[in-house]
Amino acid sequence: MRARLRMVWALVRRGLNEILRVPGGAIPGVIAPTIFMLGMAAVFGKAATLEGYGGVSFLAFIVPVAMLQGAGFTGAATGVNLARDIERGWFDRMLLAPAPRPVLLAGVVASASLRALLPASFLLIVALALGVNWPGMLELSLAAVLVMGLAAAMACYATLVALRFRTQQAAPLMQMGSFIAVLFTTSYAPRELLSGWLGAIADVNPVTHVLEGVRQGFVGDVTWAGTWPALVAVSGLVLVFGALAVRGMSRQGI
Amino acid sequence: MQAGEVYGFLGPNGAGKTTTVRMLVTLLRPTGGSARVAGYDVAREPSQVRRRIGVALQEAALDPLMTGSELIELQATLHGIDPRSVRARGEELIGRVGLTDAAGRRVGTYSGGMRRRLDLAMALIHDPEVLFLDEPTTGLDPTSRLTLWDEVRRLRDEGTTVFLTTQYLEEADQLADRIGIIAAGTIVAEGTPASLKAEVGRPHLDLVLAPGSDLALARELVARFGAQRPPTESCHLSIALQRGAPDIAPILRALDDAGFAVAELELKQPTLDDVFLAKTGERLEGAEEPGEDAPQQREPLPEAV
Amino acid sequence: MRATPPAAGGSRLGPTVVALARRALVNALRKPQFLAPLVIFPTLFLAINVGGLGATRTLEGFPQVDGFLDYQLAAAILQSLLIGGVTAGIAVALDIEGGFFDRLVASPAPRIAIVLGRVLAAGVIAAAQVVYFLVLGLAFGASVKGGAIGVLCVLTIGIVAGTGFGALGVLIALRARSASTVQGIFPLVFVVLFISSAFFPLELLSAPADVIATYNPLSFIATGMRQPIAFSNQWLPVLEGLAAAVALTAVSIGLSLLALRGRLRDA
Repeated sequence: MRARLRMVWALVRRGLNEILRVPGGAIPGVIAPTIFMLGMAAVFGKAATLEGYGGVSFLAFIVPVAMLQGAGFTGAATGVNLARDIERGWFDRMLLAPAPRPVLLAGVVASASLRALLPASFLLIVALALGVNWPGMLELSLAAVLVMGLAAAMACYATLVALRFRTQQAAPLMQMGSFIAVLFTTSYAPRELLSGWLGAIADVNPVTHVLEGVRQGFVGDVTWAGTWPALVAVSGLVLVFGALAVRGMSRQGI
Repeated sequence: MQAGEVYGFLGPNGAGKTTTVRMLVTLLRPTGGSARVAGYDVAREPSQVRRRIGVALQEAALDPLMTGSELIELQATLHGIDPRSVRARGEELIGRVGLTDAAGRRVGTYSGGMRRRLDLAMALIHDPEVLFLDEPTTGLDPTSRLTLWDEVRRLRDEGTTVFLTTQYLEEADQLADRIGIIAAGTIVAEGTPASLKAEVGRPHLDLVLAPGSDLALARELVARFGAQRPPTESCHLSIALQRGAPDIAPILRALDDAGFAVAELELKQPTLDDVFLAKTGERLEGAEEPGEDAPQQREPLPEAV
Repeated sequence: MRATPPAAGGSRLGPTVVALARRALVNALRKPQFLAPLVIFPTLFLAINVGGLGATRTLEGFPQVDGFLDYQLAAAILQSLLIGGVTAGIAVALDIEGGFFDRLVASPAPRIAIVLGRVLAAGVIAAAQVVYFLVLGLAFGASVKGGAIGVLCVLTIGIVAGTGFGALGVLIALRARSASTVQGIFPLVFVVLFISSAFFPLELLSAPADVIATYNPLSFIATGMRQPIAFSNQWLPVLEGLAAAVALTAVSIGLSLLALRGRLRDA
């Protein structure tokens, strides 16, 4: 068991090289959600004057969306990196090692989870600098867990796509998956203000619960009623995509 | 293959060399038949096989962001080597392939030869019983190639079994204890280099006589020593020898006694290229078409959305 | 017997531009992963904007429209055209990296055709993009208040703007060192769009976006396309939009030709 944990940690460290050793490597994953957050707030800020937004600014309403977007993009980027590793033959090297396939996956997924904290932290700092209220340590801890969980789920999804298509050209498919998952929720407006079809999708999209869980503290307080659905949803996503990804990994080679 | 031998696997592009290697190293599931590597069935006991083999594939797939030391240590960790021994073992192998000075540098700065050497060191980290080398010297300069050849000989002397695919006949001739030739997915010849060459032909003595010599008379004179190839140029003789070099002196004496002057002579041995041509109908060196052996080719992919 | 070399000078410019434009179009069609972001991302964005923010029509200051989709269509078109410009730039950068650019330069083809061919292709793709969004809008209940003339206005502005964005993409590719640098421009697409009145009325934007949006040419282009769709054929906004698109295109093509000259001089 200890040997397997060492293997996972070694792979996590390799995964972190993308942001630690590539000059500006961290920037795209951080810039995109930041631009989205600030842009949406600048354009649609007045929407928050509508009933239902809980009296907070549009920026405060949308910070959690940007954090989850950052998590989603990080997960997608993990898949793109895996596709690159496949194209370059590095993945064959991993398959040749006696490390079990689930261990290889765990390394990839764990590095995505950790990396997702970077854009989330940056977004929080920017939001606080622009006047959003401090959500509280409990709320932020929950948000961190949910952000990391969603990044892990998205990394598993992107891994599946990478294993299926084995090329970096499948990147848009990975990114779109995370885009749709995070935005087809109560991302822009509370449930009662969504149009019928989007509301119906948001009702069945598990990421809606994850988003509402992260939103606690930015809008309203943390409650158990708002927390357990988020935890169940993110755990379910990780389990389902994780199981599929493990199966996909196990089918590589013999 | 026999334990402790170097087995050279030759074939033209598209013959199936890389496919064979990928099946033997458990990267590709065979559609039929069976194979055992280091005593284990590749399809039924792949994880056991992977513990006992080292592989350096056609592309030295290395992470350019990591240093040589980090890569070796990562490989060691993935092989479950005791963490207390990882560093020492890594340093030992890095030193063995002559990369000590470069070990702390990122692999992205390495030359092609250095990458191959690191690739080999990584393949050896867990002291494998069987080492698979897929075209290990393709693209290397002559010096690096010779260095790698020495390493392969050393590994063989230490008892490692080496399965080597190569496009270079000289490489197979120099290194392999036995050679297998594959064409269109089938082994068409197998044996030691000497036995394969002996199968396809005999040594030839090529002579160029002094200008103005009576070629017809000379041919009649040497007919008793062996079969002759038809002359391709005037004053040229080509005689098949029974034994090789020992047969040369009597021929030269006979010509000298008859007053013929020999301007040039050359002893030509059958080459693996001749073997290849005889067994497959084509020459190996100079084959140009990229086939399934080209590292970039993969099966057609559906277009991503 | 040697073939007679073609006459030098501008007489071959037209056919060369068309040939290079055709090549660019064929290449784009053969790589769905290039075309997908042009259409899919803006479509998803449009859907979410309409589905999530439709209630903002009730805000004071929001103009009277039949539907939020009618209002948002122009923004979606503009977003798609901007992404098209980035995509054209990436394609040119890949040509440069892969050596095809050198092959063109070494040929007897007029060199300005290298830019104009790509720009023409961008214009053709822009037409398709505009048509796609108009049809999509119609399918989901929007209508073009300005009728056939209105459609023509939207198409004209869209094609001119798309051509201009394509030229911008070419300019960036000629100055940048690699395709990944051009790809890095992608987020800027969203920045310049967000600081315009493409998505939301100028009066309802927050500071400082409202100030920048007042002067942002994209505001004029978006308004010029939105007018015939959501309102009626009022000539002033349409003409302003067209003028902004023409100016952008002229400047972009001029600068990219200069960049081409600079690159060839430095080669």
